[in-house]
Amino acid sequence: MDFLNSHLLSLILFSPVVAALIVLLLPGENKTLARRVAFVLSLVPLALTLVAWFGFDAAPVVDGFRFQEQTVWYSAINSNYHLGIDGLSLSMVLLTTILTPIAILASFSVDEKVKAYMALFLALETGMLGVFLSLDLLLFFVFWEIGLVPMFFLIDQWGSAKGERELWGGMKVPARRYASFKFMIYTMAGSLGLLLAIQMIGVVSGTFDLISIFQTWPALQGELFGLPVATVKSIAFWAFAIAFAIKVPVWPFHTWLPDAHTEAPTAGSMILAGVLLKLGAYGFLRLVLPLYPEQAQQYAGVLALLATAAIVFGALSAWAQTDFKRLVAYSSVNHMGFVVLGIAAAAYAAGTESATIAMNGAVLQMFNHGISAAAMFFLVGVIYERTHTRDLEKFGGLFPLVPVYGALLILSSMASLGLPGLNGFVSEFLVVRGAWPIFTAYTAISMIGLFFTGAYILKGIAKTLHGPLNEHWKGHISEINRRELLVMAPLVVLMLWLGFWPAWLLNVINQAVVALFG
Amino acid sequence: MIPLSWYLILAALLFCIGLYGVLARKNAVAILMSIELMLNAVNINLVAFWRYFTPQTIGGHVFAVIVFVVAAAEVAIGLALIISIYRRRKTVAADEINLMKW
Amino acid sequence: MPTETLIWLIPLPPLLAFFLILLFTRKNNALSHTVGVAAAAISWLLGMLVFFAAVGVDHFGENPFRSAIAWLPTGDTFLNIGVMIDPLSAAVLFFVAWTVLMIFIYSIGYHNFGAPKGEHDKPGLPPHGAADHGHHVPSIEPMYARFFAFIALFAFGMFTLVVSDNLLTLFVGWEIMGLCSYLLIGFWYGKPSARDAAKKAFLTTRIGDVFMLLGIVALYSATGTLNFHEILRNENILHLLATTDSGVLGLSAAGLIGLLLFIGTVGKSAQWPLHVWLPDAMEGPTPVSAMIHAATMVSAGVYMVLRMFPLLSAGWHHGDPLTTTMTVMAFIGAFTAIFAATIAVTQNDIKRVLAYSTISQLGFMIAALGIGAYVAAAFHLVTHAFFKALLFLGSGSVIHGMEHGVLHTGDHVDPQNMFNMGGLKKKMPITFWTFLIGGLALSGFPLITSGFWSKDEILADAFANGHFTLLAVLSLAALLTAFYTMRQITLTFFGEPRTKAASHASENKLVMTGPLMVLAVFAIIAGWVGIPEHFPGIGGLLPNWFHDFVGSTLLEHPVAPDFSWVPLGISLGVALGGLGLGYLVYRKAGSEDPLRKPLGPLYTLMENKYYFDELYTKIFVQPAGVIAEKFSYWFLDRKVIDGALHWVAQNSIALGTFFRDRFEGPVISGVADWLAHSTAAIGRLLRKVQTGAVQQYLLVVALVAFGGLFYYLFSVLR
Repeated sequence: MDFLNSHLLSLILFSPVVAALIVLLLPGENKTLARRVAFVLSLVPLALTLVAWFGFDAAPVVDGFRFQEQTVWYSAINSNYHLGIDGLSLSMVLLTTILTPIAILASFSVDEKVKAYMALFLALETGMLGVFLSLDLLLFFVFWEIGLVPMFFLIDQWGSAKGERELWGGMKVPARRYASFKFMIYTMAGSLGLLLAIQMIGVVSGTFDLISIFQTWPALQGELFGLPVATVKSIAFWAFAIAFAIKVPVWPFHTWLPDAHTEAPTAGSMILAGVLLKLGAYGFLRLVLPLYPEQAQQYAGVLALLATAAIVFGALSAWAQTDFKRLVAYSSVNHMGFVVLGIAAAAYAAGTESATIAMNGAVLQMFNHGISAAAMFFLVGVIYERTHTRDLEKFGGLFPLVPVYGALLILSSMASLGLPGLNGFVSEFLVVRGAWPIFTAYTAISMIGLFFTGAYILKGIAKTLHGPLNEHWKGHISEINRRELLVMAPLVVLMLWLGFWPAWLLNVINQAVVALFG
Repeated sequence: MIPLSWYLILAALLFCIGLYGVLARKNAVAILMSIELMLNAVNINLVAFWRYFTPQTIGGHVFAVIVFVVAAAEVAIGLALIISIYRRRKTVAADEINLMKW
Repeated sequence: MPTETLIWLIPLPPLLAFFLILLFTRKNNALSHTVGVAAAAISWLLGMLVFFAAVGVDHFGENPFRSAIAWLPTGDTFLNIGVMIDPLSAAVLFFVAWTVLMIFIYSIGYHNFGAPKGEHDKPGLPPHGAADHGHHVPSIEPMYARFFAFIALFAFGMFTLVVSDNLLTLFVGWEIMGLCSYLLIGFWYGKPSARDAAKKAFLTTRIGDVFMLLGIVALYSATGTLNFHEILRNENILHLLATTDSGVLGLSAAGLIGLLLFIGTVGKSAQWPLHVWLPDAMEGPTPVSAMIHAATMVSAGVYMVLRMFPLLSAGWHHGDPLTTTMTVMAFIGAFTAIFAATIAVTQNDIKRVLAYSTISQLGFMIAALGIGAYVAAAFHLVTHAFFKALLFLGSGSVIHGMEHGVLHTGDHVDPQNMFNMGGLKKKMPITFWTFLIGGLALSGFPLITSGFWSKDEILADAFANGHFTLLAVLSLAALLTAFYTMRQITLTFFGEPRTKAASHASENKLVMTGPLMVLAVFAIIAGWVGIPEHFPGIGGLLPNWFHDFVGSTLLEHPVAPDFSWVPLGISLGVALGGLGLGYLVYRKAGSEDPLRKPLGPLYTLMENKYYFDELYTKIFVQPAGVIAEKFSYWFLDRKVIDGALHWVAQNSIALGTFFRDRFEGPVISGVADWLAHSTAAIGRLLRKVQTGAVQQYLLVVALVAFGGLFYYLFSVLR
């Protein structure tokens, strides 16, 4: 028990990698066995996270973080293997460990190279968890990059087989290749500045340990490298901000997302939308705001503008789609825009009540979007597996054929739309409430986006479920099966639970937000 | 007493004959024999210098004897090689044994 | 059990019923409707208990039933949610509980419970009827159970909205009803028209909703709470809001927040210019129309502005000139009232007439509120809910009877078109009498009907406060109302049947006519609780209870208008005049509207709803589509952003190619290759000496040795 408590985070962090190895080393080519083992083992991190969740309040707090672990890693440059969580990271870790088993269960229908697929998926989980758990800048960066590799292969190898994308001069490439490269190169390009800025902070501070950097770096005055510190900080701020903005993604850095989401395998999209996007937002919360409070305040207006653009144009572009999955993908741009709007508002007016509310809303929105986007992508995947098309024009009137599926699609759509009573509303309300007194005009403009959210959600429902039945599908579409229902069940429960009683999660977030920025 | 130079001139002549034989003869066996001539020219020098400058030691003899041994060994190996070449190439002419060129 | 607990419980039974039906009983029709109706009945019972408890409390306005719990942590504080019943919500709760229960019961009959299944019926399409012993009879709705689940959720939304003590949970109920209206209007989703109508309803109301959301957050930001009691009965907050400048259009903070909230109402209560969704919403089954139009959704819009009236009118006192926000409300309400009434005159679909009539009547309420006639607006809300629910259910009964006739005779005419009806008075007596009562109430038939008292109070208020233009507009609208109501009654029930189907229409079962009779009772007596004290003859016989009770909701008790003969005269004139005119014009109408010829193009214009749908499609929907697809997606994302990315990628590749071809190749590889090549060339040159002839080598050695020797001799020994 003592070992468990003192190494809980390491266990959470590395159990997926161990699971990945076990899956890889399974004898034979038994696909069912690989799937089941992967699923069962992916429940281990979830169980451990629940241990952390229930022991969270009782665990001792050091410098605002709990369950800390620290070992020297690179003594020469003073970088430590340092883990720790607060309410912010706990909620994100919970999201990750909930979504991974669900996504693995959702990918039981993957039939090629099953072992490699499952192993990559589990490895991806470690990458994501590492970002949320790290309290060391270099470690953070390492995990930040680790997450890219499995995702790249998941899109590139298991992505949709059909489709081409035309590049310049009539050159055509397979869509999944295009998407995977765009995802990889775009994110890595963003990370370059981040790496440089991290190195710079590390050199200046003499350590990469976040807790000490939190204290020294923001207070730094004078000159650095012959420039005023403020200038250096501004440059470093933008290096951080752009890296995270690409990941979130903030308009106009978002175009990798529809491609990657559309081409990724179903479970890949679920994780991509559910967790990977949150890494960017988490970066803003964990690093940008505490490290650059002044710069963040100075440039919050720009960030808010971009967030508003993401909300409005994300919704409009989603509405324009005829590809169901791309529609859902664009909805992520729209929803993550609210996260960034909340962060920008909080950055601008840190310490005020509105800022706290906006920040609460932003974090809750991250969680909620993780739940509802995963559900939406899964449901699109379910119908794709049956019809082998994502073209909205080819569906129509499917409701009588698949009533249960239809009910779930409407419920998830409504959660995504932010219908009061379901999870999305609470967070959107908090963000809008927090942002209103701070960025009144932007908040008002973002309502256009909120309106078109309704438009594209209803478009999705109307084109698939409603209208005259497309006789072509009669007898070709089967109702959602039990495994798929099992995937949806936890998501639906969370949607309703968070909609009716968000306090269980928001309390944890609120504590962290108050401690960090209050 | 015969002056040293006579011996030296004899040895030089003998050496030159041997050298000429090595450079000019085609037959490998003849070349081997010419080498023996050159060795023996050296031997004459060794013995001559010994007699005229350090007759009280036996260093000169020892050197000469070593040269004999070397010469004998050399002939043994040399002839064996020549026979081996002959078996392969059916010739012992030195200018035809030119595989080691560019 | 304390009353507060009862209030918490009111919305729960329908919610429970929703989940029960969807998850467990959906395969069993009888069980499903039992669950649904039982839930409505329990809510009704709780509602009545609470209502009568409320009536018994003195100074109820100051001490309403309240209870709250902490819901959302917001920094160091919490956002509380809870329930509250004050006089206004008690009155609303009363009519909601009654109408909801009636609609639930009526739905059993309307969806043909007990009828056989039609062989050609499919989920998502209205039932086509079934063959039964050689006769063609109506068949049961294929999605019977689901209907009860949806209306149960709808009822949950409405009850939540009514018992809320704060704007946030009110908004939750508001939006849940929005979803249900979407689901129910699109109940027969297999019809493209129903699908589109559902979408239109949701999106049009959503325009209002996003503004309302802004209003809510603005109010929350400004006051730190959303609780009605804390904001609306707190003079300091109201005064502060009324005197703070919002920086927008010269409005005060209260004015701006009020305006934003009011836009929400414009959407929900289908006021001009967001009225377009409501007539299309007739695609839903009739009980749905009644739910949406009378009992719940559109009433919710008016209820919300009534609820927020102290905020909307902050800074205004009786007798002052109207604030900007109030002027806007008065204008929109009055304009909608007359505008929708003119359209109603030309509609042939029995339900569409009622739909426009609803828009028009809601306009009356909004206009009343705009001039500060708080009690009159609330009064009209209550009476309208009863008689409009009655009319909708009555029209449903007519349609149902007509459908029976259509199936029986095989005469495939539109069962909703009034010009296919006629003479139904004899065929459907109960429906006729109840419909007549509802129609007279709507027209404001003097003295006995509830509509007269509430409408009269609005007119009296407008007159007493000197809003003569408004009075004129509303009077004209009232005249038109009476006219089209009588047109409807005459075309439907009087004269001779115009089609075979109409001549074979038959009266419905008690399960449908029962609710009609109950509602008819309320359509009459609901007005008696608010008879002005100084009304000649009967004033004072009954106390003007409604005014005192609901009026006490406000901090500043509203002044009842003094009695005057002018508005009364107008009331009487327009009601009786309109009714008489309507009867005269349509008494002998054939299959053509007698007004079509004399009105000419004006008729076409009104018949086509002033082309608002087409206008909106042209100037909003289509451009938005173009902006979304062409600008936002293709231009911005694909062309500009992806274009820029591709430009970078292309140029990176070009740069790489350049380096590969111009630097990597020629320079780096070039130098290395040159080194190798020159070494080889030198080797090639030198290898010539490698002849393989041992003797030549030796000759060279000898020559070098001799050369060395000679050099030595010449240089050293010289």
